Amino acid sequence: MPFRKFLGWFKGFFGKKKIIRLGLYGPPNAGKTTLANKISMDWTGEPVGKVSEVPHETREVQKKEKVTVKVGGKTIVMNLLDMPGISTKIDFEEFLQYGFSAEDAKQRAKEATKGVIEAIKWLENVDTALVIMDSTRDPYTQVNITIIGNLEARNIPIIIVANKIDLPESNTKWIEEAFPQHPVINVSGLTGSNVNDLYSAIAKYSK
Amino acid sequence: MKNPLMNNIELEFISSDILDDKKGEDKMKYILDRIRENKILVMEESLSSTEEAKLIEETMRSISEKFSGIEVSTLREKSDSGIREKLIKLLGGRTGGLTVIGPSKLIKQIKKEPKRISVWAERKME
Repeated sequence: MPFRKFLGWFKGFFGKKKIIRLGLYGPPNAGKTTLANKISMDWTGEPVGKVSEVPHETREVQKKEKVTVKVGGKTIVMNLLDMPGISTKIDFEEFLQYGFSAEDAKQRAKEATKGVIEAIKWLENVDTALVIMDSTRDPYTQVNITIIGNLEARNIPIIIVANKIDLPESNTKWIEEAFPQHPVINVSGLTGSNVNDLYSAIAKYSK
Repeated sequence: MKNPLMNNIELEFISSDILDDKKGEDKMKYILDRIRENKILVMEESLSSTEEAKLIEETMRSISEKFSGIEVSTLREKSDSGIREKLIKLLGGRTGGLTVIGPSKLIKQIKKEPKRISVWAERKME
């Protein structure tokens, strides 16, 4: 038994509850921070970060520590890690469309590139991952495939979140068909719809 | 004199023999250097998940006002989780696959299906 696993078992056996590092991954604008805020508000009464329609609003990993979730007679304690969106491209000109000055747009793009690198580095340091996908968009993208492939290579439990089910064009079947090897939970981070199913899944699949 | 091909899009097909000699950062540098020359690459191998993540990292480090990133899509020809495929890899062999990758300024959209990649590219007239 590897030492880390043994340590986890030992702590669990003697009653010290393990803190799960729960990483929220996905492309920009999938609704990661909205969902992180929903989870955090439900259990701590405080949000994790600011939400915006501008891509790459989250440019550093945002944490909410020791969030205690009680579900189905089980209590889990987790550190919520809201990751910057992972992308293969960042064009400062895109930010100009949202009214940023050229200088601010370039600065935001620079920060966003660092955020993507930080999110990738964190792939090695989460215990369970929520991969958030916008259920109104084609899920079979290289970014989603790369995130899931890297988590699978590290044997990290993955729960796919089909987000934005409150929108009429939501198509969760698309996601289930693209990634049949992982549990898919349909939620709306915005309205909180089905979020209890997500808590049950976190309790069931986390390690 | 104006190059008559300057508004065309160059596709480069790269044999896996070339990529076999390159590992880690050398491989990423080789790929990104060619993409920054405004080429779309079709490579005779699929990148591993770890290589894809490394490529995104290196791309982020390269982003500037002139280079806004990449579009990439990989086809894994065979499942790499089977015993046969694992054995082939262990013996240094390849299980097939394909990678299409190019500058995001040129590639307008990549649509991926499990067994097919479609690419829409456009070069703005200069």
